[in-house]
Amino acid sequence: MNQKLKTFKSVDGQLFKLLIEAGLNWLKTNQQLVNSLNVFPVPDGDTGTNMLLTMQAAYSEIQNSGEKKISKIAHSVAQGALMGARGNSGVILSQIWRGFSRALDNQDVMNLSDFSKALIEAKNTAYKGVVRPVEGTILTVAKDISIASEEIISKTEDLEEFLDFIVKEADKSVQNTPELLPILKQAGVVDSGGKGLFFILEGFLKFLRGESLETSTAKLVQPIALMNGGDMEEIEPGQDFEVIVDFRPSDPLNLDVFYSDLTEMGTSIQVGEGDGIYRMHIHVPTENRYLPIDYTMKLGTITKVFMENLIDQMEQKESSKQKQLDLMPVEPDQVAVVAVSPGFGLSQIFASLGAAAIVQGGQTMNPSTEEILHSFENLPTDKVIILPNNKNIFLAAKSAKEATVKHVEVLPCKTIPQGLSAMLRLDPFGDIDEIFEEMNEAITEVDTGEITVATRSVEINGVNVREGEAIALLNSELIASSPSIESACFEILKRIDIDERERLTFFYGSDISKQDVNLIIDHIRKKFPKFEIEIHEGGQPHYQFIIAIE
Amino acid sequence: MKEIKNPMGNVYVSHRAISTIAHQSAIESYGVVGLAAKNFAEGIAQAIVKDPTMGVDVRYDGNSIEIDLFIIVEYGTRIKMVAESVSNNVRYRVEKTIGIPVEKVNVHIRALRISNTD
Repeated sequence: MNQKLKTFKSVDGQLFKLLIEAGLNWLKTNQQLVNSLNVFPVPDGDTGTNMLLTMQAAYSEIQNSGEKKISKIAHSVAQGALMGARGNSGVILSQIWRGFSRALDNQDVMNLSDFSKALIEAKNTAYKGVVRPVEGTILTVAKDISIASEEIISKTEDLEEFLDFIVKEADKSVQNTPELLPILKQAGVVDSGGKGLFFILEGFLKFLRGESLETSTAKLVQPIALMNGGDMEEIEPGQDFEVIVDFRPSDPLNLDVFYSDLTEMGTSIQVGEGDGIYRMHIHVPTENRYLPIDYTMKLGTITKVFMENLIDQMEQKESSKQKQLDLMPVEPDQVAVVAVSPGFGLSQIFASLGAAAIVQGGQTMNPSTEEILHSFENLPTDKVIILPNNKNIFLAAKSAKEATVKHVEVLPCKTIPQGLSAMLRLDPFGDIDEIFEEMNEAITEVDTGEITVATRSVEINGVNVREGEAIALLNSELIASSPSIESACFEILKRIDIDERERLTFFYGSDISKQDVNLIIDHIRKKFPKFEIEIHEGGQPHYQFIIAIE
Repeated sequence: MKEIKNPMGNVYVSHRAISTIAHQSAIESYGVVGLAAKNFAEGIAQAIVKDPTMGVDVRYDGNSIEIDLFIIVEYGTRIKMVAESVSNNVRYRVEKTIGIPVEKVNVHIRALRISNTD
């Protein structure tokens, strides 16, 4: 028999704090169990941990609080859970606490009927957070708990009996989740988020009964900072400024008129509404930036205005783009590859093939020896292979080799396709000399086609080039000058040995649109059905196409 | 407009089909309270015909799929997490049902819906 410590009929702030702590501890004890249940959705693989971290953030908000009012404590719990919400289940949990606390506004203590109301509001708020709620999840459990609470309040005034019933119903609800969500049934598990919620409630009950939670008091694993969300919008012409206005209209707002008036000013119009407050979002050209504010002011009271220069923000993002490359981490003693790349798309491809560092550069923008040196000096290994990918950069790379104590080899690859072909032979754990040998062999296995536009009229290799025409280079030799990009591509394909080659990879540059690329490639596909053709965004300047011919 | 696979012939999957899957999994993701029109023209078209692909943009380069989602998020949720989970959900569902790798899911938060003020 369990010994009852004390009978409670209501919960004040301090008792609620203890309950939350108990729920947290009990969840912590069962964290791995909850994690192991995870099947849905597969990528969110650690529901137990996510819920625990969310609860920890919630608890740390009230840990040192002596507040007696339940409304204040519940509010802090909700706030902490919101800021610390981790993963999908954490977000739902934070919404549950948010609704829970809202129902307790201005209350000093929570009696059982308040508790029930809070659970109902928690359920409502949680369900509001999604267009199409998936049943058989934590949402269903939250719903069943709220129904159970309504049922029990007429039968008891004792908190322990109240929780006992709710926990039992929560358990039933969790056990029933596979019936509602087929994927759970297939995997032979119950819903992990629902189970996590069950543990939190069971922790409440265990605390009241003075039962062991099998763990010491919880410590914060890591401080969870408020994340500042990046703006992820794309910018089109005429969208220089983003303007957001919160306002309270003095008369009921005619949305249709409002929309059409805003359309005159800019694009990307969004209007959000809540409790009489409207939030309007619009992208406008620079000269119109104050227009939406003046306009809204006529409709009612403006409470807040937010304005951001998107062009400037975009430029900053552009400049930070290079840093977003997913470069291969190297360990001491591994072989690192440094590749010179003229465009972001190509850099990404090099990185995905295992390059440890990228140096920006190409035909018209040769990187200096120093830039190349910098790129690998801080790598934690002594073995470096440089892929200059251009004959003009070969020398700078050679000088970088002279200027360092590291063991550096410079691969004589003159084109991007040669460099990529060499990358495929990389074995970071292998012997640098052997790898170098392999790579050297690989660069002979690929032909390179390049298409660019002539900047002046000239005659080379017996080819008459007129300014503005498309010129085709095969393995860096000028072979033809054509009136269009497309015909220049065909000039190259005409000259390669069709029986020997079977695969074309096109890297298109920043000077050509994706539509044009698709059009040209479609024509090539029709004319040369034998080839396997791939298209990648190379992002290189000046060269409309770099073509790897294998 | 097509993806080709070669077990005993070709399978063609339209962008629209992929968009529909992405749309459905997006609205089942927690925190997402709606998808927003990508631009005004789409918004108008949407007012006339309810389109199951609204707010989704799909591109296919022959190898992998890139998806843009334009979503409305519930105010008071941790937006970063909602964005992460919707992108996970969509990627998972599209990859699982179609079998073509999804290279990127870009999430654009187009608006927040305030259903309650605290």
